[in-house]
Amino acid sequence: MVDGRKPRPAFAPWDRRALPGLFDVEESARRVGAYAWLEMRLFEALGGWIATVPELDVKLVLGRHCFHHAWHAEQLQQRLPELREMNPARLTLPANDGIVAFAEALIEPEAAEQTIEKLVGVFRVLLPRTIAAYTYHLNGTSTITDAPTIRTLNFLLQDEFEDWREGEMLLQSLITTPEQIERASNRAKSLESLIVAAGGIAGDGTLGQGTDESGTKSEAVSQ
Amino acid sequence: MKRFLPVEELARDERFIRSNIADGFSDPRNGRIQQRTISTARLQPDRASAPDRARSLMHGIFVGEIQALEAAGRTTFDFDDTDAPFALKLDMARQCWDESRHVEISVKLGEHMGTEIGEYTEATFLYEAACVTDPAMRLAGVNRALEGLAIDVFNTMKDFGEASGDPILKFCEDWMLADEVTHVKMGSDWLRRLTERDPERRERALEFQRAVDKLFSLGGFRGETDESPIQIARRFRELAGFDTKEIDEIAGLAADALDDARALLGQTG
Repeated sequence: MVDGRKPRPAFAPWDRRALPGLFDVEESARRVGAYAWLEMRLFEALGGWIATVPELDVKLVLGRHCFHHAWHAEQLQQRLPELREMNPARLTLPANDGIVAFAEALIEPEAAEQTIEKLVGVFRVLLPRTIAAYTYHLNGTSTITDAPTIRTLNFLLQDEFEDWREGEMLLQSLITTPEQIERASNRAKSLESLIVAAGGIAGDGTLGQGTDESGTKSEAVSQ
Repeated sequence: MKRFLPVEELARDERFIRSNIADGFSDPRNGRIQQRTISTARLQPDRASAPDRARSLMHGIFVGEIQALEAAGRTTFDFDDTDAPFALKLDMARQCWDESRHVEISVKLGEHMGTEIGEYTEATFLYEAACVTDPAMRLAGVNRALEGLAIDVFNTMKDFGEASGDPILKFCEDWMLADEVTHVKMGSDWLRRLTERDPERRERALEFQRAVDKLFSLGGFRGETDESPIQIARRFRELAGFDTKEIDEIAGLAADALDDARALLGQTG
C-alpha cells in the first residue's frame, strides 16, 4: 500500500521544467500581440483571396486555413488580459513599420494568374517564419511562469506545421515550368528582404538575435 | 488586393460556364414545360425527371456553396475593424471553413448522383448579394436570405434522399443543414448587434433581405405549394431563429413570385 503521507518532492525526477525564462511579462505580451496582429492580417488576406483564385482545390484550402488563422488570433488575444493587458486590441500591434510593409506586400497580389505569388508569400515566407518565432518563444520562455502561452503556441504550431505542409504541396503541384520557378523565387526573395529588414515577425530579436545601431548582430536578450 | 471584388472578377477554371438566372426564369420554353407538368412540381422519386432534376439541383448547390465561401471570405477582408469587429470576422472565417466543406461534400455527392463539375451552368446571384458595401446589409442578404434559402434547399434534398432510399444523400444534406442553421443564427445575431443604435439601418438591411428573398423565390422556385420544387422548411427556420411572422412573410413573397411568373407566362405563352 502506498503511504500518501510520506513527503514527495513537488517536482518528479523526470519533470525538468525550470523558472528562468528569456521574457518578462511585458515582453511576452508584446510578442503575443505582434503574433495576433499578423495572424489577423493573414486570415483576412486568405479570406479575400478565395474569390480571386481559379484553382478549385486552392480555393477550398484557403477557406479552411482562413479559419485556422482567425482562431489563432483569437487564442492569442485571449492570452493578453492574463499578461496584464486588459484591452487586447491595445497590444494587437505590428512589431514595427517593417512588418506593416511586409504585410502590405504579402496581401498585394490579386489577379487570378497570381496564385503562385499568393501561396509563396504565405507558405514559403510567412509560415516558416511564424513556426520559427513560435518555437523560439516556447523554447525560451519560462516553462512554469509562462506555461499558458506555451500551451497556446503548441496548439497553434500544430496547425502551422500541417498548413505549411499542405500549402507547400499545392505549390509543388503548381510550379512546373522554368518561368514559374522564376516567379516563385522572385516573390520569395522580395518578401524575404522585407521580413529580414523587419527583424522577423516580432521585430528585432524575434529569434534572439537583434540588430544594434551599427548593424551588427548581438544577443537581444539574455538570462 | 482591392476591397469589394465585383462579380465579374470571380475566378473560375475553364469548366465553369456563367449564366443569368433571370434569363432562365423568363425563358418561355421553361414556362411551356411547366404547363405540361400534370401534377406536383416537388422532387419526387417516382417522377421520370427526378434524377435529372436532382442532379441539376445538386450542381446548383455546388456552385452556390463556392459563392457562399467566396462571400464569407470577402467579408473577412472588405471591412476594417470599425465596420466589422474581429468577432464578426472570426464568425465569417468559421463560415469559410464550413462552406469549404460544403463544396467538398457537393462535389462528392455530385459524383455519387452521376453529374460532374460544369455539366450545368453557374448563376452568380449569391455572390452578387454579397457585393453590397454595408456589412449589415450583406449579412441580411447572405446569412439570413440566402443561407435561409439553403435551409429550404437542403431540407428538400434531404427529404428526397429519404424518399428515394439514398442514405448517403440524406446523411450529407442533414449535416449541411445543421451548418446552415448556424450561419443564419450568426447573421441574425450580427444584424442585431451592428444596428443596435440605428433602427433605420436595420430597416434598410431587412428591406434588402426581403428583396433577396423575393428574387430567390423567382418563378415559384421556392414556396409552400405543390407548384414549388423547393419547400419552405418551417421547423429548421424556427431553429435558426426566424419567427412565425418572418416565415409567413417569406411564404407570402414566394406566393407573389409565383403569381408574377404566371402573369409572365400569360404574356409570353
